[in-house]
Amino acid sequence: MSAMETLDNEIGDLQAKIAILQAHRANLSTILLSQPHLPARLEQRPVQHEGHRRKAAKLVEKQSKRNLENVYRACAGVTAFKVKDPDPYAVDDGNVLGVRIEVAISGRFIETYNVLFNRPDAQYKMMLKIHKHTIPPCIPLQALANKWLPMTRKDVETATEQNLVKFGRSLRKELVSWHMRLEAITKLRSEAGVEDEAARPEEAEEPAAGRVLNAFMSSDDESDEDDEELQRRRNSPVKIMELEADAAGREITLTWTNGRVGIMKVTKDGEVEKAVVKDEDGTRDAALGRKAIGRIEGLVQRLAA
Amino acid sequence: MAPNPKATVPDSKNIPHSHRLPANHREVQRIFSKLSRASLISLAIQWLAKKNRDFCRPFLLGDLGDEEEERDDELYTPAQSYEELQEIYKQLAGRKGGKREIQDRILEGDWRTGVSMYQLATADIQYLLDHTNSLRWTAKRLARIQGAKSAVLDMEVTNDSDHLPRFQAQTFMGNLARELTPLMKAHYLLMKVRTRPMTVLRVYMHDSPYSTESSLAADTGSDSARAVFFIWPNGSPFVYSSIANHLGQAIGDDGRHLRDIVQQAIPKAFSRPSARYQLAGTNFVTKSLDALLAYRGPGKSNAAAGGWGIFQDHSFSQNALDFITSQKGDPNEKPAASKPTAAPSKRALDPSETPEAKRKREIAEGRFGTSALPNDGRGLERFDIRIDDAFPQSSAQPDGNTSLPNNARPASRDRRKGRPSLLDRSMEEIEELQDSEAWVPDVRMVFQGSHVFAGIRQLVEQGIVDGEKMPAWMTGEAGVTVGVVKEGRIRMKKGNIPGV
Repeated sequence: MSAMETLDNEIGDLQAKIAILQAHRANLSTILLSQPHLPARLEQRPVQHEGHRRKAAKLVEKQSKRNLENVYRACAGVTAFKVKDPDPYAVDDGNVLGVRIEVAISGRFIETYNVLFNRPDAQYKMMLKIHKHTIPPCIPLQALANKWLPMTRKDVETATEQNLVKFGRSLRKELVSWHMRLEAITKLRSEAGVEDEAARPEEAEEPAAGRVLNAFMSSDDESDEDDEELQRRRNSPVKIMELEADAAGREITLTWTNGRVGIMKVTKDGEVEKAVVKDEDGTRDAALGRKAIGRIEGLVQRLAA
Repeated sequence: MAPNPKATVPDSKNIPHSHRLPANHREVQRIFSKLSRASLISLAIQWLAKKNRDFCRPFLLGDLGDEEEERDDELYTPAQSYEELQEIYKQLAGRKGGKREIQDRILEGDWRTGVSMYQLATADIQYLLDHTNSLRWTAKRLARIQGAKSAVLDMEVTNDSDHLPRFQAQTFMGNLARELTPLMKAHYLLMKVRTRPMTVLRVYMHDSPYSTESSLAADTGSDSARAVFFIWPNGSPFVYSSIANHLGQAIGDDGRHLRDIVQQAIPKAFSRPSARYQLAGTNFVTKSLDALLAYRGPGKSNAAAGGWGIFQDHSFSQNALDFITSQKGDPNEKPAASKPTAAPSKRALDPSETPEAKRKREIAEGRFGTSALPNDGRGLERFDIRIDDAFPQSSAQPDGNTSLPNNARPASRDRRKGRPSLLDRSMEEIEELQDSEAWVPDVRMVFQGSHVFAGIRQLVEQGIVDGEKMPAWMTGEAGVTVGVVKEGRIRMKKGNIPGV
């Protein structure tokens, strides 16, 4: 039994080692292929087989293309590319223009979003229409498209003005600000010392079903005053028990241990714009609500102060 | 005058969580007999948790009346306290055994006095989450009603503009109850699901003017589905709705009618002054919750289905700082690391593959990308298509005949029994067809199976369907299960962007 285990462990170790070495090799070959003047040197030096030279040149070309693409993507944030639609019935012979938006948060590229356009109107070749996209529904894509990429109606003679650059710019702004809000909320959670509901590891005994949202008692049989847990909570110092946000990161709900609940509305650029804090008995805590107004980043500190 | 507690008067209240149905009620028996042992135990432990005790009061020793005390033939002795019961169920969880044991213990022992509405609803939702393919779902979208005045405003995307309806549990429940209570009594349970990004609402409809326990328990005679489910995926404008019918149970007109009432109330409950919503169809019906979340969900995949899936799962564009080119396009190198869904890589290892088969496989890969794999769990089981292209003129159809099929069509529809299909032509479409010269027959196609698009992909790989000439809707990239095809493409509403 133990022999089997040790063997399994050894195999696992070896596989991990192989993976590390492979990654290392890939890294080294990338560095080698990215050497400046490599193509020129390949041309000049004699080789045994012409085929090897061609193969090497191909690899170098592939690498330099990738390098160029990555540099543009990393520096510009919004880049365009061409795609061919394989659909034989596609409009405009399947020519598709892709726009790629990179989102970078705190020094890392975390997500790439694509919008693919086609040209449905043979008469107005410059008119673009969104064909496919990977923008999540919490981004107002339709509204942005209505504004910057309006479609010409059939009976109108002149083409409507479209502005792809402004569309890309405003879409990127929406996406980046969305990710920044989510990032700020994750940070708030760790500041408040509450664990993320989604990040918690799956435990076998925990039910798949979550919290019941309408489990409040009707007022006529409210008799749980003697509940120990509630009593204990009331006596301990008040702190934030739960921090929840909607998927768009526009609304934050805070629950304190003493039953106080606060709802904050966040603007797209991360400003807490409106806040309502209510105590357990329903009275509004206006002072705390006023404290919440401001940048999203310092919310927990402001409320604790 | 003090109100008589025994009198039943029609009222305007919801059915509270703590109202109980007798343990031998048909609905109770049905739901409990479907659940697995593990689910039953986990539910019982949840019900005994402190915060739920008010809604799920078990039968304890203290509840025994004087006259019925000390009955030795009792199969299940009532427990002394909640803590003791919790211990019992925890022990049962650690032990192996049949599911019947738990079911009987719950219904005949600890909750012999009845199962509360709260318990019933949580049990029903538990089953739904255990078996995500058990119900048929229709995906709808909450669409803003464009007022004449607000149309200009809606275009604007500002720093604090909001394009999705806001979901506030309390407000929503209050509004919904206000819409519904004059029409029927209902029990509501709204639950945030932990394992999937969504919120479930279960409405148990009670077609009676009374909201008392005894009227709940009374058998109404009709055996149609009583509960409806609605699901909101977080951060998206979609709503999925379904009638919770049990296996083999017919969905009667009653059930459907009640569901429609609830469905009509939902957009009203979401609406605020100056932001009114309506439910719009999205041509999507399926049984798989995972497929729903992929095609009408909160993520990136809504408008990049089929072969376009490569744009959302990073197989097309690497990280902007990933410069490594050598390992790409080499699926054989790490077969253990890739998911078991990677069927093509398995096939690539097969040395007996002929160049012809390889070419077909590559075509299929080009058209379907990383989608439509047999075990990806996103199978659509039905795909309905109507072809709206004109009949090819080359086959010598004389023009004089065109009016005849158009006139004949209404008669043929009358012959067909049942509800009108989603694919039936609307009045405008019929008018449009009558204006044009060509003869457009009403041709419909239905694809059915456990995973329709994986099946088509296999047909392409086998060479039965020509992968290069195949229209795009056969790859599933249109993201609908009901659609009208014209000129080889699924028709879409003018100006609408897919998937938002």
